[in-house]
Amino acid sequence: MRAVRGLLVALGVGCGLWGVWLMRDFTREQLTSEAFWLAGGVVLHDAVLAPVVVGIGYAASRVLPAHWRSATATAFVVWGTLTVAFLPVLSGQGGKPGNDTILGKPYVLSWVVLTLVLAAYAGVAALLRRRQARSSDMKTLHGSGS
Amino acid sequence: MRLPTVADIERRIPRPDDFDSRARGPELTARVGTALGICFAVCFLTGMWSHLQYSTPGWLTLSPNPTQLYRWTQGLHIVSGTAAIPLLLVKLWSVFPRLFIRPGRGARALVVEALERVSIAALMGATFFMLASGTLNIIGWYPWEFSFRRTHEAVAWVAIGALLVHIGVKLPVIRTALGAPVEHAEHDLDPSAPTRRSVLLAAFAASGLAVVLTAGQTVPWLRRVSAFSVRPGDGPQDLPVNRTAAGAGTAKTALDPAWRLELVAGDRTVSLSRDELLAMPQSTHRLPIACVEGWSRNATWTGVPLRDLLALVGADADSDVVVRSLQTRGAFGSSRVVGNVAKDGRTMLALALNGATLDIDHGYPARLIAPNRPGVFQTKWINRIEVGA
Repeated sequence: MRAVRGLLVALGVGCGLWGVWLMRDFTREQLTSEAFWLAGGVVLHDAVLAPVVVGIGYAASRVLPAHWRSATATAFVVWGTLTVAFLPVLSGQGGKPGNDTILGKPYVLSWVVLTLVLAAYAGVAALLRRRQARSSDMKTLHGSGS
Repeated sequence: MRLPTVADIERRIPRPDDFDSRARGPELTARVGTALGICFAVCFLTGMWSHLQYSTPGWLTLSPNPTQLYRWTQGLHIVSGTAAIPLLLVKLWSVFPRLFIRPGRGARALVVEALERVSIAALMGATFFMLASGTLNIIGWYPWEFSFRRTHEAVAWVAIGALLVHIGVKLPVIRTALGAPVEHAEHDLDPSAPTRRSVLLAAFAASGLAVVLTAGQTVPWLRRVSAFSVRPGDGPQDLPVNRTAAGAGTAKTALDPAWRLELVAGDRTVSLSRDELLAMPQSTHRLPIACVEGWSRNATWTGVPLRDLLALVGADADSDVVVRSLQTRGAFGSSRVVGNVAKDGRTMLALALNGATLDIDHGYPARLIAPNRPGVFQTKWINRIEVGA
């Protein structure tokens, strides 16, 4: 295990250095832009996205009725991660002038539908869970009565 | 009133224990991480394969077979990168409290902590960079100053390197976590809270959905389902277009009746009109256009095999050839066809597509089409073929 770990780390450092070597002739302007994009994602995640998600999770765990929590969490994970994944096509940027074979779908509409479908999923799952909880309560009630 | 001291501020910063969701934990992280690692490995290998098509080293001869190979590898490249996005976000959520670990006392602990943080920062930075630059390249938006292809390649090595270091550092934790049951031992203390299993399933579901909702641009039977694919799949003659004639500056020159194809081999030159090309024996083959942006589509092409044109100027069928385009704007105005691709009977100067005259946006009057070849090298609006150049 020690040898495998050492090998992985050594190989990793080698790959990383090769990557840096491939940048040796990049201009200062290119490197600055690259550094901005390298650091930008980390800052955006750690300082904005993650705290917001933690805050939403904290609030949801206190506000939502018990049978809603798990279903909402599942729907939120799917909705949030897919929204991030689809941000480029939702941004309205990109494409090529005079070329309607690229970005030719109603992405925002699809995103609204996706949001509604996931909300509906959360609602149905929550109701099922409540019914389940009630029927098991009833069983306990009958069990204690007999 | 006194100003807050460093200790006051430190007290206000959360500690890992303050995050109380039992859904987090190495058992979840290791499982999502394994799936993510597989996506990154596939994405890295297929990406490097694609870079080899663009700058082929001398020791490598690219074959025209299997016909659909580049379509598969580049399709997989985009699919695995897309699948990675939900997995990455869930994995980062599962370890977020670790950002607030306070380093231990003593110089050694500080150095170890600092090294691990640097490697994690490199991994996160490079990973975000790859996914962001890749997905923006697909939609054709370049809000940066660097060269996409070269930087996407260089940072890929940093990302895969940082990943290998990360796996090396975490291997004991990963092994223990994968061997243990996924659920938190006390998860039923709060039966209404999301469980690790539910988060894991949500992550896999999101990853799968991300693929299904985008992959229709390369998987034909998913076309109607993929509401978020960049290429709906339509276009003139039922085929999408990357660069239009207007975009390439060929809208007028391509329609000029005086257009001739020049075949040049040494001091021999043969000039052919489109009618003369149409009078030569035609062959028809079903070949894909497979683009680096991950969209691809098969089409039926009809035209003159390149080797027949080479014979007209007395050149060998397996000569290295350069084809040149009328285009005046944008990159890839010419491409090289190596001998073993040139001699393949399916490599041709296409004059018709899906049974009709080639659309101007698909390269009228004539374009190159060859098996197993990235789309940008399927040169359009060809007016010159140079042998042995």
